[in-house]
Amino acid sequence: MKKVININFQGTIVPIEESSYELLQQYIESLRRHFANEEGKDEIINDIESRISELFQNRLKGGSTCITDDDVNAIINNMGRPEDFDEDDNIGDADNTKGQKTKSEKSESFSQSDWSWKGKRLYRDENNKILGGVCSGIAAYFGIDPVIVRIVFIISGIGFLAYILLWMFVPGSNMVENGARKRLYRNPDGKILGGVCSGIGSYFDVNPWLPRFIFLIPFITFIFRWGHFGPLTFPHFLSFSFSPGSFIIYIILWLVIPEANTTAEKLEMKGEKVDMNSIKNSVLKEMQEVGQRVGKMGKEMGEKMGKMGMEAGNMAKEKGADIGKEMHFAARRSSGVLGNIIVTIFKIFMYFILGCIALAIIVALFAVAIVAIGLFPLKDFVLTDGWQTVLAWGTLIFFIAVPVIGIITFIIRRFARVKTTNKLMRYSFTSLWILGIVCFVGLITSVARDFKTFSSLDEQVIPLQNPAVQSLEVVPFQNINYRRIGWFNLEPFGTFGTTDDTAFISNVRIRLIKSSTDSFQVTIVKMSNGNTRRYADTLKSLINFNVSQNDSLLMMDKAITINTTDKFRNQYVEATIAIPVGHHIRINKTFGYGNRVRFGGFWGGNEWYYYNNDNVNDYDFSYGIEYVMKDDGLYTLNGQKSDRNNSDWNDNSSDDNNTVTPPATNNESGYRYNQGKIDSLKDAQEKQIQKMQSTIDSTKSVREKEVQRLTDSLNKAKEEINQKIEKLKSTTFTQTHCQQKYPEGYSFIMHI
Amino acid sequence: MNIDNTASQMRKGVLEFCILSIIKLGEAYPSDIIDMMKSANLNILEGTLYPLLTRLKNAELLTYRWVESNSGPPRKYFSLTEKGAEFYNELETTWLELAGAVETITGKNK
Repeated sequence: MKKVININFQGTIVPIEESSYELLQQYIESLRRHFANEEGKDEIINDIESRISELFQNRLKGGSTCITDDDVNAIINNMGRPEDFDEDDNIGDADNTKGQKTKSEKSESFSQSDWSWKGKRLYRDENNKILGGVCSGIAAYFGIDPVIVRIVFIISGIGFLAYILLWMFVPGSNMVENGARKRLYRNPDGKILGGVCSGIGSYFDVNPWLPRFIFLIPFITFIFRWGHFGPLTFPHFLSFSFSPGSFIIYIILWLVIPEANTTAEKLEMKGEKVDMNSIKNSVLKEMQEVGQRVGKMGKEMGEKMGKMGMEAGNMAKEKGADIGKEMHFAARRSSGVLGNIIVTIFKIFMYFILGCIALAIIVALFAVAIVAIGLFPLKDFVLTDGWQTVLAWGTLIFFIAVPVIGIITFIIRRFARVKTTNKLMRYSFTSLWILGIVCFVGLITSVARDFKTFSSLDEQVIPLQNPAVQSLEVVPFQNINYRRIGWFNLEPFGTFGTTDDTAFISNVRIRLIKSSTDSFQVTIVKMSNGNTRRYADTLKSLINFNVSQNDSLLMMDKAITINTTDKFRNQYVEATIAIPVGHHIRINKTFGYGNRVRFGGFWGGNEWYYYNNDNVNDYDFSYGIEYVMKDDGLYTLNGQKSDRNNSDWNDNSSDDNNTVTPPATNNESGYRYNQGKIDSLKDAQEKQIQKMQSTIDSTKSVREKEVQRLTDSLNKAKEEINQKIEKLKSTTFTQTHCQQKYPEGYSFIMHI
Repeated sequence: MNIDNTASQMRKGVLEFCILSIIKLGEAYPSDIIDMMKSANLNILEGTLYPLLTRLKNAELLTYRWVESNSGPPRKYFSLTEKGAEFYNELETTWLELAGAVETITGKNK
């Protein structure tokens, strides 16, 4: 019992058994693939279909009620299968590959079929294969020697996984030509999650639990290795040996592999039953042959390498000539010789540029992903629980991971030429990404709100045991001075080592100023941000910063602790050390390590430093170098003056002070210093004079303008008056009564 | 050396010549061509013939017209163009030369 369906075949209605229909469809599809490179492809298929239709009609007129499998098979035998064509066909694919070896054939076949970008598809070349034919397929696609591709593959270490992926996605040349071919589909019937594993299972004819197990291996090992790796330890993140890697691969496969929905696709998925045996046999045979072939390839490769080295020049010349010939043939095929060459070159450039762009995008996205993952440990110290954490995850997954997966999927689909235009997928990708953008914006604004307000500022004077000490060295409390150095170091909070819920951030700044008394003085100012003033103040008061003096050592925390409950809100401590004249100071080197961490910029303003209003500026200094404070500034021991951190107006005022009381030192350096001061004073005065001059000039010009304007307006008024007088004079003739009634002067005033 | 391969290479060389010469006799329908070649004991698959005809047509050696058929869709009847006739004449000369040469050479073996 068989189901019969009616099909409209080349304009005639044909009743046909469903299985025969599948057979016919597969046959025509195989023809379509065979003639894919042919110029009049559609026409040829059309002709053949017409002929088949005619044969069908004959059969039906002969008394058959419908077309059966036998009929279709008979017709197919008559017409010939694509693999039979190669024998008869004068430009079959087989000749093409052979043609690579003999030049005369090559150019002939070349001119007719091969050199066209359109309609060219990437196949695994099963005639010249070593393992899966991937490399020889790529070589045939680009028209280069497969050995070169193999060498590139091995040397560049693109590696095993890529090879396997290509093996899976790229259809084999033999498979395509057989009427019944096998393709990788997701199996909707046997699915647990997406049907990827059961699809792979039916493709390789194994129990679906085998691929499932392979996908699960990382998860199983993950459980055992949990102690050794954090959940997102990076180097393992993308590798298949770690769960997120296999998870991502699964998702990509899920998106890339089409689902087998129709009967034909399901047949394709499994391959025909007859085929299964032959595939098994051929697989066994393959296994034996692979060894031989690999050996052969090794030899061949060695030879090639040697040859390449020896005859590089020769080969280049020959190749050049060849390419020239090829181009010539390619060009001759169509009428516009030059045009075709230009188009070809242009296309190559376009592909190259597009490839570069695609690569750049991928690299950029990966970089973003890496940074995001690297910064992720930060999250506990910055984000509050609840919405912000949700938004952070949303950002990570939708804003960063989704485009990465999307682009990879797109590229693989491009290469595999999966034709199904899946609108649903595109829309869902886009909407997920928009969701990601929303998450990102939400996260940013929410975090920004938490950083919005600044705490109040108040100075806190630290009492010192012995403020009159001659020299002071600032050292950290503990001498922890290690840095975590890994290949991937993106943890701003990790510089001093972290425990699980506390982090050290070195948001401590030391200012050195001149003391107005003759003793050292230390003041600290703590600052914080927060969503409200009150919360910022609370956080500020929670900052734990210790300073204590022990003779000539001033011990100071070099970092602030932040914990996960109180969160990081730009907590910051500024310690000001006032140094009396003639006393020495040295800041220990360890204070120089570590990066200050601060969120801000576009929302918070840049109030990073706190200036007190004592009109005293601080001096630049280097860590680990001893300085001495003199009357006019901070000096190193070998007499170099350090710069000031300052603004202009402060500079001027201190300059004035210095000129009033010049220091009474008589040595040479003092003299030079005086000379310098005087020079600078002169400069300042000159500047002042210039400034005054310029103001005088500007007022002058303003006044001149004013005068000009006045004279202009007066002149205008004068003219107007003249005109009016003129008018009046003329009106006196026509309006005599006016003249009679009023005197001249009076009427003039009236007019004005 | 593969005997099948060599033999099929030989056949391929003359295939176009044969097809052109059949069409030269008069307008021909592809299955007529197949039948004629079969009767001359030169077997060819229909699936091979169609692309060949299309190629010849694209090379402007052949032209065709549609003829309504009472069994199925309209048929394409092929005929030679002027260019095709010229091409055929050239092929014929070549063939005659070649056949003569081959005859002379292989004849010595007999």
